[in-house]
Amino acid sequence: MDKIKLTATMLSPIVTGGGYMTLDGLLAALLFDELQDVEAAHAAIPIQCKDGLFSASAAIMEPIKERVTFIAALRPGHSIDPDLILKNKQGQLHRKFDTSLTNVLNTYAMLTAQTVTWYTEGDAAQIERLVSPVQFIGKRRASGFGRVSGWQIEADELDGIEGPFGEPLRPVPIDMFTGDKSQPIVDAAWRPAYWDPLHRTACFAPT
Amino acid sequence: MLQFFNDNFGRYLVEQLGDPADDARRALSSSHRMKKAGGLQRIASGWAIVRPDRSTMQFELAATGIEYSKLTRYEAFLAELERWDGSPRMFIEFAKRPVPVANLFRTFDVRQVRVCSPVGVETFDFTKPPEKDGCKTHKVLWKLKTGGK
Repeated sequence: MDKIKLTATMLSPIVTGGGYMTLDGLLAALLFDELQDVEAAHAAIPIQCKDGLFSASAAIMEPIKERVTFIAALRPGHSIDPDLILKNKQGQLHRKFDTSLTNVLNTYAMLTAQTVTWYTEGDAAQIERLVSPVQFIGKRRASGFGRVSGWQIEADELDGIEGPFGEPLRPVPIDMFTGDKSQPIVDAAWRPAYWDPLHRTACFAPT
Repeated sequence: MLQFFNDNFGRYLVEQLGDPADDARRALSSSHRMKKAGGLQRIASGWAIVRPDRSTMQFELAATGIEYSKLTRYEAFLAELERWDGSPRMFIEFAKRPVPVANLFRTFDVRQVRVCSPVGVETFDFTKPPEKDGCKTHKVLWKLKTGGK
């Protein structure tokens, strides 16, 4: 295993729905595209993992933060929960619906930065194989956001968990963290799949 | 995290069936018996503060085990943050759309307060004044805290 610094040079802003965008999460998504199996993808992440905690930092950048809104034209589905539908005075469901397209606005955070950096301890060759074909990261990739012009891997001294001053570089459960404990504790997912609320616990995490 | 929500809030509203995510989803999206008139209604307005011992909410349901309060959400959140005892809390704002389980987060520290709602999660540092582009809850709470300055 090698301690490395991975840098993505960005051509367009990154759109994110929140979260820390840890490198193990990014690699898990790439491996899932290859393997089509969540468990197999998590098992194949080429990063050191101890007691479920991957030595992989969150995405580190110095962005200009903005909000961006997209419009999605949605047609009402027929599988809607009847509890959510307004009832008439007789307690019956209103059954006549407007089935025309409805515009829904979705707002995301948009981060503009020249580079995005991750620190990790893992198999550098495997990590390079996975990330080198990646041209977009984050959400709304099909709209041109999160375009990467190149990836750079270099040796480093950080393990992806603690920074040089003991600060957390990624969400770390409080009983597994050995760094600076003066940081605020937050509820955060600490292992993939990061979208799963069951993986959230009290963590020290980057602010 | 979902265990905290279900143990201290959800279990008073729906039967616990052993799937924490589904139990929480049912508590947030299904209809519950109201205190007045006894009709069924989903929690479609108001707020809740989930605590390790006893939770409080505004929308008056018939469910026992939960305290009910007539304070506004900002009055309630401000009072809670000002008498913080260091134990975890979950601040929830309800609206017509149910709060998704994915938007539930606990707050452990006034420097990272999280307010959960159907549209997302607001995060702010209650020890510092809000920035110009800060979230609405932070701005309102800070105004109340400092007497409108």
